[in-house]
Amino acid sequence: MGIWILLPIFLPVIVGILLLLPPGAGESAKKNQDHQSDSSLQEYPPDGGKESLRTRFARLIGTLDESPESLSRLHKLTAAALIVSALVALAAAWSGDRSFTWFELMEGIPVYFQIDDVGRLFVTVISLVWVLVCFYSFVYMGHEGNERRFFGFYLIVYGVLVALSFSGNLVTMYLCYELMTLTSMPMVLHSGSHESIMAALKYLFYSMCGAYLGLFAIFFLYKYCDSITFTAGGTLNLALAEGHTGILLAAIMASLIGFGAKAGMFPLHAWLPTAHPVAPAPASAVLSGIIAKAGVLAIIRVVFYIVGADFIRGTWVQTAWMTLALLTVFMGSMLAFREKVFKKRLAYSTVSQVSYILFGLSTLAPTAMEGALLHVVFHAIIKSVLFLTAGIFIFRGNLSRVDQLEGIGKKMPKTLWCFTFASLALVGIPPMSGFISKWYLAQGALEANIGVFGWVGPAVLLVSALLTAGYLLSVVTNGFFPKKKEAQETDPLDGITEAPAGMLIPLAILAALTVLLGIFPNPLIRFVSKIAAAVL
Amino acid sequence: MEFVQNFPFITIILALFSGPLCSVLKSRAAKRVNTAVICLVLAMSVAVLVFTLRTGEAYIYRMGHFSAPWGNEIRVGVLEAFMAVFFSVIMLLCMLGGRRELTAEVEETKQNLYYVMVGLLLSSLLALIYTNDLFTAYVFVEINTISACGLIMIRQNGRSIEAATRYMIMSLLGSGLFLMGICYLYDLTGHLLMSNIKEQVALLAASGEYHIPLLISITLMSVGLAIKSALFPFHAWVPDAYGYSTLSSAAILSSLVSKGYIFLVVKIFYRVIGFDVIRESKVINVLFVFGVLGMIFGSVNAIRENNIRRMIAWSSVAQIGYIYMGFGLGTTAGITASLFHILSHAATKSMLFVSASGLTDVSHGETDFFGLTGSGYRNRIAGVAFTAGSLSMVGIPLFSGFISKVLFASAAYDTSGKLIPAMIALAVSTLLNAIYFMKTVIRIYTPSHRAGIKTDTRVIAMREQPQKAVVLMLFIALNLILGLGSQPIVNMLTQGLEMFG
Repeated sequence: MGIWILLPIFLPVIVGILLLLPPGAGESAKKNQDHQSDSSLQEYPPDGGKESLRTRFARLIGTLDESPESLSRLHKLTAAALIVSALVALAAAWSGDRSFTWFELMEGIPVYFQIDDVGRLFVTVISLVWVLVCFYSFVYMGHEGNERRFFGFYLIVYGVLVALSFSGNLVTMYLCYELMTLTSMPMVLHSGSHESIMAALKYLFYSMCGAYLGLFAIFFLYKYCDSITFTAGGTLNLALAEGHTGILLAAIMASLIGFGAKAGMFPLHAWLPTAHPVAPAPASAVLSGIIAKAGVLAIIRVVFYIVGADFIRGTWVQTAWMTLALLTVFMGSMLAFREKVFKKRLAYSTVSQVSYILFGLSTLAPTAMEGALLHVVFHAIIKSVLFLTAGIFIFRGNLSRVDQLEGIGKKMPKTLWCFTFASLALVGIPPMSGFISKWYLAQGALEANIGVFGWVGPAVLLVSALLTAGYLLSVVTNGFFPKKKEAQETDPLDGITEAPAGMLIPLAILAALTVLLGIFPNPLIRFVSKIAAAVL
Repeated sequence: MEFVQNFPFITIILALFSGPLCSVLKSRAAKRVNTAVICLVLAMSVAVLVFTLRTGEAYIYRMGHFSAPWGNEIRVGVLEAFMAVFFSVIMLLCMLGGRRELTAEVEETKQNLYYVMVGLLLSSLLALIYTNDLFTAYVFVEINTISACGLIMIRQNGRSIEAATRYMIMSLLGSGLFLMGICYLYDLTGHLLMSNIKEQVALLAASGEYHIPLLISITLMSVGLAIKSALFPFHAWVPDAYGYSTLSSAAILSSLVSKGYIFLVVKIFYRVIGFDVIRESKVINVLFVFGVLGMIFGSVNAIRENNIRRMIAWSSVAQIGYIYMGFGLGTTAGITASLFHILSHAATKSMLFVSASGLTDVSHGETDFFGLTGSGYRNRIAGVAFTAGSLSMVGIPLFSGFISKVLFASAAYDTSGKLIPAMIALAVSTLLNAIYFMKTVIRIYTPSHRAGIKTDTRVIAMREQPQKAVVLMLFIALNLILGLGSQPIVNMLTQGLEMFG
């Protein structure tokens, strides 16, 4: 049993670590080229003259230098490892319920994995996006360099995310959550520039701040719950909690804010707009599309699988949570609307859109929760498309600001069409996918017995949808129909051509999914309603 | 009586006499003798641990079979034996890890003196662990202080002599207070053997007589040992003493010397005064406050520090704060958590010191942050070990630091009124730890050619410094063992604590 769960976790992690190990993965290869005349190099050859195990491994997979052949070998190895582990992960996820206790971390705290419907949903989305973005990065990372390090960490993070989706108790989840932060950080600081290091530190600081708020809650929940194993409906021992409700609610609020940091919820949202512009585009895509969702997953686990929705229904925690989520929805859209740097605009858009999901969860109503889970899937795909498009603009012409994109539709129509579909989906125009999730969210909010939020919520969602249209579709209209300018001497977009096929194909697949999932949403809706029915 | 039962006494004497022996030997021979003695002590301590685990109870070993009030006693249980094993393991690793620095930094003719000091230090640590006599404890506290001073100033440059002087002054102040505390207690009870004192103290506490002198005595002993183990606000000597002494000294001082005193505090709480009396005396509340303050201030200072050695030293101040906070909780669970943190911190801090020196080796000996840029690539094993140590200090699961944090947090539940401050202190200090440790980790993995500074391209492969590489790998393994297999160790600590009082 265990092998099915451990294999998709450890295969990518081990391959990733092996990719990081050989000399040249980090600094030495570059440095050796830089300082070939340096006499100390002859004095201290990196491997003491003899061939070390690392070198031998590197020779085996042939990724010692950055020549085209070895890079293509690196790509093949990465793709093979990722696809195999994704297939195993999906096979493990969709072939019945499994659970596996690996070992006891402390008495009563095992490292325990179990596969349930939420885990299935997340692992499927993660695998889909991860594999497609991986193919895109094979081309994109060509201009960022240092590919082996990137793909090493890319694989490791995939393994950690699978572990996170399969986590069966709070401590295992916390473990994977922290590992996810640590292993995804190198993707942010990939370029090694001062800004990227500062951004990575900010990312780390916010994530850790959040994780410790979550840990604070875990300490309390460990005391007041019958078990820390995830159980639909919660395991909170109400008799034990009697008389300690105040402190427990405060702890739960702390975990909401804490895990909300990854999901970009106010007040710990500020890392997103800093981290995204400096990270390579594929890293931004998965940070926004997937890793922000890990915060959502953690919140779902804590609220619906440990605490139980009934415990916080009608309390100040629910009110505060709804307020924070709606505030973030509105604030994110407004900030995105007036942001001129393209990737930063998309980052703010993530802040706003992930809080749609959180609002749906905070209503504690089945329909809204279905909407939230649908939006998890749709937003992951849509936001990946948007960031990958932004990456293509940077890859082809170093166009990072919105005003530089005027007339881009003439040069790269296919890319912009993909962007258009994704934008329409995010705004929520039927029959695109975003419409379905937003419909369920609004319906759920109206149905739920949450007082004034019942109509404030849908109103804010609507205003935010308008703003979304404002900040995304303006790019589309300006791209296809540039404003007439005075004749310039040189066209800034001169020489820019359509994106290479290697980037366009994953992009097109993802863009097609945004539409297809909107037209044929029924299997997915049935699946998420099963989850919602189980916990509410 | 079985032969194994003699081992605690033999280890103390062996370590004690290895000192004078080393003083007449050449440095190379002294090195061998020292290593052999530590290994022997380790082996014997393991035997004692196995013996106590098997019998499941503590035994008393009377020196020369004289009973009190003339005789002197050793008392050995699971906890004592385990501590002896652990301390000798760490001692061995610290000595091996710092050997290269020792030969490079200390004059050839003085090196054998270093082994004298180490021998005396080991003997005094073992004596502090095993002794059942309060005055014997005091004597070995002094031996400990003097040998620690020698360890600090063996480098004989200006900074280390200044640091040693500072350490001497603070430490003697602490010893003085401790001695006064013992005198008061002797006056009140008429005994020096710990078990006898406890009986009398229980009578005194029950009758309510001599309440204030008893309180003063407890306070003096606690404060004295707190000064010696660098509890905030008595920590001023720490950064210099750990920052400028030779590598082995820094590692031993931070992970063993202060822990020896802390173990004595536990002993006084449980065996001399009795935990109930201590709890009523409110001294622990003071320790709690200072512990919490230490956790915060130590980390804040570490963030502001630019020298990697001094940063690790400041982090020690914070970690000592954790341990005293655990005492301050006033529950057995709190003490267990503190004891586990002693282990975790000893294993991690010495690893950090050794790996930091590995990093400075490949950076022209620079110890400031900027100079260390990219050093994680140049000395991989040191980089990995430093990262592992940082993650453990920050409290990432899988490493030992996480377990001690969980233990502290769950111990805090059973207290009234200390739950919230303890939780907040844990959260804030963890965050501060994360800031300065992760900052350093990112710094050592930032490629130096990107940061635009010129460092040498010297890359140290593992086989160039095999000894240090092996030591670092052992340290990482030790950390993972504490982090992954914590339950047997916690069980052992709990069992040991039960038979301790």
